[in-house]
Amino acid sequence: MTVLLLFHFGAGLVAPLLVRWWGRQAFLALALVPAAGLGWALSRLPTALDGGEVRERFPWVTALELEVVLRLDALALVFAALVTGVGALVLVYCSRYVEPGDEDTGRLAGQLTAFAGAMLGLVLADDVFLLYVFWELTTVFSYLLIGGSGAKVAGRRAAGQALILTTAGGLAMLVGLIMLAQASGSTLLSEIVADPGSGAMVVTGTVLVLLGALTKSAMVPFHFWLPAAMQAPTPVSAYLHAAAMVKAGIYLVARLAPGLADVPGWRAVVLGVGVTTMLVGGYRALRQHDLKLLLAFGTVSQLGFVLTLVGAGSAAVGAAGLAMVLAHGLFKSTLFLSVGVIDHATGTRDMRELSGMGRRLPVVTAAAVLASASMAGLPPFIGFVGKEAAFTALWDGALPDRTAATVVLVGIVVGSVFTVAYTARFLWGAFARKPGLPDTAPADLEHEPGPLFLTAPVVLALVGLAGGLAASSLDPLVAAYAETLPQLLPEPEHLALWHGLTPALGLSALTLAAGVALFLARAPVQRLQRRVAVPASADTGYWNVLQGLDRTAVVVTGTTQRGSLPVYLGVILVTVLALPGGLLLARGSWPAEWRLWDNPLQAVTGALVLVAAVLAVRIHQRLAAAVVVGLTGYGLAVLFVLHGAPDLALTQVLIETVTLVAFVLVLRKLPLEIGGHAGPRVRWSRGAVAAGVGVFMGLASAVALAAREARPVSAEYSELAEEAHGKNIVNVTLVDIRAWDTFGELSVVLVAATGVASLVFLRGRAGAVAQAEPEERQRAPRGRRAPRRDWLAASSTLAPRRRSLVLEVVTRLLFHAILVLSVFLLFAGHNAPGGGFAGGLVAGLALVLRYLAGGRYELGAAAPVDPGVLLGLGLLLAGGTGVVGLALGAEVLETAYFEATVPVLGHVTLVTALFFDIGVYLVVVGLVLDVLRSLGAELDRQEEEGEDEDPAEAEVIAR
Amino acid sequence: MIDAPDFSFAALSPLLLVLGAACIGVLVEAFAPRDVRHPVQVGLALTGTVGAFVATLLLAGTREVTAGGALAVDGPTLFLQATIAGLGALSILLFAERSLDPARSAFVVSAAVPAGSPRDRELVTTQRVQTEVYPLALFAIGGMLLFVAANDLLVMFVALEVLSLPLYLISGMARRRRLLSQEAAVKYFLLGAFASAFFLYGLALVYGATGSVRLRDIREAVTAESGGVLMVLGLGLLVVGLLFKASVAPFHSWTPDVYQGAPTPVTAFMAACTKVAAFGAILRLLYVAFGAAEWTWRPLIYAAAIISMIVGAVLGLTQTDLKRMLAYSSVAHAGFLLTGVIGFGAGGDGSGLAATMFYLVTYGLTTLGAFAVLTLVRDGDGEAGHLSQWAGLGARSPLTAAVMSLFLLALAGIPLTAGFTGKFAVFRAAIEQGAWPLAVVALLASAVAAFFYLRVIVLMYFSDPVADGPTVGVPGLPTTIVLAVTATATLALGILPGAVLDLAGRAAIFVG
Repeated sequence: MTVLLLFHFGAGLVAPLLVRWWGRQAFLALALVPAAGLGWALSRLPTALDGGEVRERFPWVTALELEVVLRLDALALVFAALVTGVGALVLVYCSRYVEPGDEDTGRLAGQLTAFAGAMLGLVLADDVFLLYVFWELTTVFSYLLIGGSGAKVAGRRAAGQALILTTAGGLAMLVGLIMLAQASGSTLLSEIVADPGSGAMVVTGTVLVLLGALTKSAMVPFHFWLPAAMQAPTPVSAYLHAAAMVKAGIYLVARLAPGLADVPGWRAVVLGVGVTTMLVGGYRALRQHDLKLLLAFGTVSQLGFVLTLVGAGSAAVGAAGLAMVLAHGLFKSTLFLSVGVIDHATGTRDMRELSGMGRRLPVVTAAAVLASASMAGLPPFIGFVGKEAAFTALWDGALPDRTAATVVLVGIVVGSVFTVAYTARFLWGAFARKPGLPDTAPADLEHEPGPLFLTAPVVLALVGLAGGLAASSLDPLVAAYAETLPQLLPEPEHLALWHGLTPALGLSALTLAAGVALFLARAPVQRLQRRVAVPASADTGYWNVLQGLDRTAVVVTGTTQRGSLPVYLGVILVTVLALPGGLLLARGSWPAEWRLWDNPLQAVTGALVLVAAVLAVRIHQRLAAAVVVGLTGYGLAVLFVLHGAPDLALTQVLIETVTLVAFVLVLRKLPLEIGGHAGPRVRWSRGAVAAGVGVFMGLASAVALAAREARPVSAEYSELAEEAHGKNIVNVTLVDIRAWDTFGELSVVLVAATGVASLVFLRGRAGAVAQAEPEERQRAPRGRRAPRRDWLAASSTLAPRRRSLVLEVVTRLLFHAILVLSVFLLFAGHNAPGGGFAGGLVAGLALVLRYLAGGRYELGAAAPVDPGVLLGLGLLLAGGTGVVGLALGAEVLETAYFEATVPVLGHVTLVTALFFDIGVYLVVVGLVLDVLRSLGAELDRQEEEGEDEDPAEAEVIAR
Repeated sequence: MIDAPDFSFAALSPLLLVLGAACIGVLVEAFAPRDVRHPVQVGLALTGTVGAFVATLLLAGTREVTAGGALAVDGPTLFLQATIAGLGALSILLFAERSLDPARSAFVVSAAVPAGSPRDRELVTTQRVQTEVYPLALFAIGGMLLFVAANDLLVMFVALEVLSLPLYLISGMARRRRLLSQEAAVKYFLLGAFASAFFLYGLALVYGATGSVRLRDIREAVTAESGGVLMVLGLGLLVVGLLFKASVAPFHSWTPDVYQGAPTPVTAFMAACTKVAAFGAILRLLYVAFGAAEWTWRPLIYAAAIISMIVGAVLGLTQTDLKRMLAYSSVAHAGFLLTGVIGFGAGGDGSGLAATMFYLVTYGLTTLGAFAVLTLVRDGDGEAGHLSQWAGLGARSPLTAAVMSLFLLALAGIPLTAGFTGKFAVFRAAIEQGAWPLAVVALLASAVAAFFYLRVIVLMYFSDPVADGPTVGVPGLPTTIVLAVTATATLALGILPGAVLDLAGRAAIFVG
């Protein structure tokens, strides 16, 4: 079997090549492939008749327990024979249907052959996942076949619709199959049917599987894709939409019915949907003018009929169903192929334009009449045999519930009446000579159908006739399947052409008579149909759903994905608030005691910080906002002081100041106002989110502090500081206890400073800050000293309107004092507030002052060094301390301590950590200088030299 | 006195190779003459990544905890490291492609030049290429390798930063549409910084609750007292940080913008490798450290999976830009992957870990391939990402269209492609753990997502080509290799995934 499947797919692959070599004759060669399949299937007939099976099994993906398991039993054989037989004939038919030299021929050939393979695989697969794979393959191929070359919009639409519906159904089916497999503990269909298990899992699984089957077999309310799919070329319709693909759902139901028919819900769904579909399809077929559409609705109707029979879960009804499967496959493909011949010959399928075709195409007419007779259920055709068997079984009450049997019987009798009526309408529309319409003239015939073209319809029609005549020899095969179904009648029924004068025969006669009457009264019937036309159809429902989905997606995208950073961040923050925040509120263990403040000043500071925070949200000017944010930091410093941590406070203040300077330097390059005009609602909601996150963080901190059990690490720090001969714990921590960390930080600072600078300096950044050229400071005398008449060295290079005399004076007076202070902080830091970090920042601020007062050349005059050198030197010094210590036999960065009394200075203590601290000092100064140089001086330069143009307007718009 | 921790250098060799190559790359950047840098850097980067890949293969079967307990080298680590290194090598090849863009590279020559300035315009046409991306990418890969091996929250955080920072940078280095690229980088950076902050905050809380940052100690603490609110809070914040990196909804909002703005090779790299790394960390964190407190995170992951799948699938429908579409696809796939995470089961006895790891391989390869195809289709202004420009590509360049179709089918999870096997594996794992409602949602989301993948195929084959449509570039050797490898793997893992699945199954045991 596997070889057979591979043969199909291989043939599908080489088909385009064959077509290129042999033209449309290649179809004849390809027809041999399914024909071989048919031959093989028939050769296994004896086994199947004995109730046996042919099995093949080999592993595919062992880790996932995926196996290729193929199994051929009576049911599979019937379907396999149908699929391969009709497939072969359709391919033969194609060899004359396509025009020589048609571009798409190769693709059509390949896809049809591969589809036949997929379909064969579907009916042979025993593993549920394999079944699903083939199921989806048929979907994909049908999509390609319906879409054709994609030239027609309607074709694409129909193809897409069929694809979406059947794929969705297929997925539902997969879920259902998985659930069934879970429940029964096996992934093999044969074992699931044998022992389906029980419980809600089975019921849900069953319903989902049915959903898949119903979409695939075009049942109400999913029936609308089938008529739409009539855009496909006729051979494709004949094969996919009559014999093969739409039978997949029927097959699945037939396959599962022996095991699952008694699952609650199965019969209700199958019988209800089946009968409804039969009626809806038949009713709508009566309205069609396009022959193909008429047949399509007829197919919908017949599929409903067949589904009802095979899904009833009763031996007698199931046997009738299987016979009807064969019958329908044979007569419907014949009819489709006949329509193809007519269409091919005349170029139209509209029954209002065709007249007198019966005489012009006698062979086709004969075949179509035979098939129609089978469809209408006339003896001695196989259609009659099947229908008769169904009537008999239902009349005898072959359902667990007698009432249900009666209702179903009435339903299918009415449905059969419709069938007879639309059959007559089809024959009349296609072949009859109509009054008031001229005969389709000989000149209208574009092609005279050749013998090969007619083979398929004729053969299929004759097989339908033969099947009816040989009904009793068909019986063992059908019975082999029916035996697996519950036997609800006292004794088994047999297929036969003649049962005698039974009630079923009466029902058949009744349907025929009523059908013919309905056909004869077609004019009033049509008027009635037009009057009661239902405005809502499943088709429009489908498009509405799709459009709704599309629109929702657009709306959601528009609201959530606007590229707005605040929105994105808002989403994340709200999620954080909702989940961890909710958890905190629900389960947080709060501190036992809330103390609002230790000192009223804390409250005042807190209030100030709050005000600053609120202002930060409300202020529109960037600079002001930055300042207000800075205020919150200063507030924190005050709190540190109030807690008795002046060293921390000092550091905090300095950092805040330097940050503010960096902010100012950058922000002056940006527009004054914060862009974007958020409405009040947006601003309020942003404020709410921000406040919420702030409160959350505060509460989380409170909870975290309250939950503390372990001893704080800092408890040991005063002791450790003592060991390191220092009293300023912060500083000792930096240069001794956690000196390694500090060293790492220094490296990071260095890298960051270098990174910022290299972003701003596009070309070579080495070298000191530029100093003014002599001609630029005409009045400036040589030398480093500030000129007598000026307060600063290079402030004269500034434009007069940017100068501030007061600032210059103050700077002149303070600069050196600040530098001295910074050095003092550096040296005093080990025991008093200060240290290398604070000292460095203070020195940096002195430079900031010079820069602000005198511009970029002033900066160069104040610090005529390369910041890179400072940074490197600092790191070298800090690292050197460690290395020297190591060389002297101590630990890396361990502090050594010297004490001496020196003249002039008095008692001096020297801690080697000081050298490390000097390194820190240098790095910090270097950092500030680098920031000033790049964000300050270099940007000034670029501005003056006009390098910094706005992006071209076109590009802005293009965004 | 600090004792130097024991390092098993052999077990860390993949990491050392990549980071070593990155450091050498920096030196090359500083000292090698400009005209030899490109071949040297590419060679170096490939040596590092391929070397790391080979090293992980040689290490297969190793199970040890090293570096003072901070790093775990076990089956999942090695499997994911091999995945990252392999995908990383392929990404490097994409970076190195020089024949597609007339300017010979997808990266801007000097990222610091303001976009649109005269100097920028000067540089647009120059043939100079920028080679800093290679060491940067190597650092990112190194961070990812570290991320999946981290057995310690602090190391995990460091790895997170090491992998993120270079990514932020190289996202902003597109040669064309620079403002878009820079915007992407800034957004990614800002939001990423927030995510990192949450991670850090969570780390602190977990440390406070359990007294340790070692995953093993955390597990013991969690098992002993089943975790207080502090631990749960911390875990929640940690998960937020990680889900952000994995672009799981609702933390996905950066994904479309960044994927679209970043240079396509970088997008490919991010989509493939970052996802692997992030899920590696998620799995290790949840199962090694918090496996005993499963009740705390299971609902969270469950919900995130559902939201992610739905958001990715539904929003993907409306996208008209292929890169954005693939971004939403990435969000949806993150949801599918979480399905596998759920499938790991309380006791770690489910097949979820193996399934998720396998899914990561398939998704990484497929998505990398898809982005690689994207780099081929170009118009005058770089890549032609708009859907309408892809109309009728099947007629113009059948091979490109066919390869793209293969990737899209795989992303959609059509049988006989890698995507199906991966999806099947994770869904099966989830169902085995009783999470079948999740699997049902996942299937529905797959159906919706399949729609937008298939739409592209339809467009390529069934639409008339647009008049002045894009050209399909002839890829150079690097991209050709990438396409060949990814396409072959996508098919092979769909038809005969047995070997890799077995490998994943054997590797799926954490050492704690």
